[in-house]
Amino acid sequence: MWTLVFRGLATGSIYSLTAMGIVLVLSTTNVMNFAQGDMGMFLAFIAFALLMRHVSYPVAIVAVVLVGLLLGALLERGLMAKVRKTTSYLGMLIVTLALTMILEGLAGYFFGTTPLLFPPALQGDPVHVLGAILDRQDLLSLAVAGVVVFVLFVVLYRTKIGIASRSLAEDEYAAKLLGIPVRSIYVFIWATSFGLAGLAGIMVAPKLSLEPGFMIVIQLKAFIAAVLGGMNSVVGAVVGGLLLGVMENLVAYYVPQIKDSFSLILVVVVLLFLPEGLFGRRAARGA
Amino acid sequence: MKKYAPFLVLVLALLIPVVLRQKPSLVYSLNLSMIYAISAQGLNLLMGIGGQISLGHAAFMAVGGYTSAVLVTVLHVPFGIALLAGVALSCAFGLVIGFPALRLQGFYLAIATLALGNVVTDIIKRLSITGGDYGLRNIPAPSLFGFTFGSSLSQFYLILAGLLLTVVVTRNFIRSKSGMALQAMRDSGTGAVAVGINASRYKLLAFVLASAFAGLAGVLYAHSVSYLNTGNFGLDLSINLLAITIIGGMGTVWGVVLGSLLWVFVRNLMGSGLEMLTGVLFGVILLLVVLFLPRGLSEIGYRISARFRSGHQRG
Repeated sequence: MWTLVFRGLATGSIYSLTAMGIVLVLSTTNVMNFAQGDMGMFLAFIAFALLMRHVSYPVAIVAVVLVGLLLGALLERGLMAKVRKTTSYLGMLIVTLALTMILEGLAGYFFGTTPLLFPPALQGDPVHVLGAILDRQDLLSLAVAGVVVFVLFVVLYRTKIGIASRSLAEDEYAAKLLGIPVRSIYVFIWATSFGLAGLAGIMVAPKLSLEPGFMIVIQLKAFIAAVLGGMNSVVGAVVGGLLLGVMENLVAYYVPQIKDSFSLILVVVVLLFLPEGLFGRRAARGA
Repeated sequence: MKKYAPFLVLVLALLIPVVLRQKPSLVYSLNLSMIYAISAQGLNLLMGIGGQISLGHAAFMAVGGYTSAVLVTVLHVPFGIALLAGVALSCAFGLVIGFPALRLQGFYLAIATLALGNVVTDIIKRLSITGGDYGLRNIPAPSLFGFTFGSSLSQFYLILAGLLLTVVVTRNFIRSKSGMALQAMRDSGTGAVAVGINASRYKLLAFVLASAFAGLAGVLYAHSVSYLNTGNFGLDLSINLLAITIIGGMGTVWGVVLGSLLWVFVRNLMGSGLEMLTGVLFGVILLLVVLFLPRGLSEIGYRISARFRSGHQRG
């Protein structure tokens, strides 16, 4: 039982990492980012290429996060800033869909579509924690998610740029009036979000196999986690991700017939009956 | 000039396969692109006219295709009836799913349709009658009134008829009261409600119509490709259909035809080895369209014809 819960938490931590990126972008820039998962996929491939060239694991992780930050900033500056002027939310959503096509195509072209085995960061026998048996990689992703959540919250609540970002999420017009540099904040948000994508990709890749579409499932689950948590709350994204991971694991064990559809049915139920999620602010969701 | 353009296009379309008789693979590609155009026409109604989004459109194709294929192969129902049944069941799914989903908006609708689309294909995969993971093979070619559309050449005309039907329906829908109401709602939700438009009723109508088109496309796909697998109706296809609609031009009647021709032929031209780059190329085209051509490729045609008629007022 505890093993199930802890394993669920470990999977959930990946959902949380991805969902945090999605929610950060959605709440501040109002873009539903479908490319979050595929950016993680792309960055995991880069990490794989580095590891194959005998770059040490920590260096590869840092490098990938930096590349993610850079790509995020470039995307905002080169593309999103332009699209924002001309189109509605539908246009921006479509831009992220175009991005998934480009990223998956590039990954398939450069690295092939045969699934690759991504080496885990920590090898060795499973360890016993609080009566549960866990892989070391699971512990690592839990720890990484924990650190990331802590750092992100310090940044969002204690630094100037973080508080400015939250004000943007709260009321963009007022934030602009107060002289908050909206454009730099957008760059900061996209960079952070793709940095998170890189971390999520590298943490989950050893548990799945590395191929161009491998993050689609995680992406879908992260969306569900975000909905569960309330779509505009970063706390919600973290809790939603962990909760979803645990529930899924328990369902898969006790009612294996519905394990694939469980989360999908859950999201529809949540959208219909609890539209503001667990932590979300009430907002217009329906017509 | 403008008056005769549709007839010109129709005559050209009727002649194409005669010219290409020696190249069945090319005709096959044309057939496929027309099938995608039929399906994308549904998305066009939903997005271009209704301002809604769906990321589960491919699932309705699966419903139509599987229904008809199972009816014909297992129960030996004539194709004509299976075709109607496929479209009807797809409509019914549209109604059942659209009813709750259309209470949501924007991102939430995107996620809900994405999830529901996945549930539908998941259910199809779990049924034993649909062949599960292996899919259905050797689905017979369509036959109507004793005539079997065995070659891709004869199927061309059947699919063309389906495409024309959806074009006519779409055209009339845009000009009908429902279409007007939807466009008013898309452009100003509050304004439309204020003048007494029953928003959810028209949205549901558009959703059901879109499902019907997808179902028709699914039936035609099943019987001309003769192989079905749920893997082919996942998120990938839904996104590609979305891209086809936008690249062709949302809210126009012929845009989806342009978009799907481009998609199928770009994929064919790239050939093996480069096929992964098709996605990249298509993604880049999609970006360029969103940035520079809000009305898609049909905007280009529109601008050219506007130049010919310079002096006249645009509009």
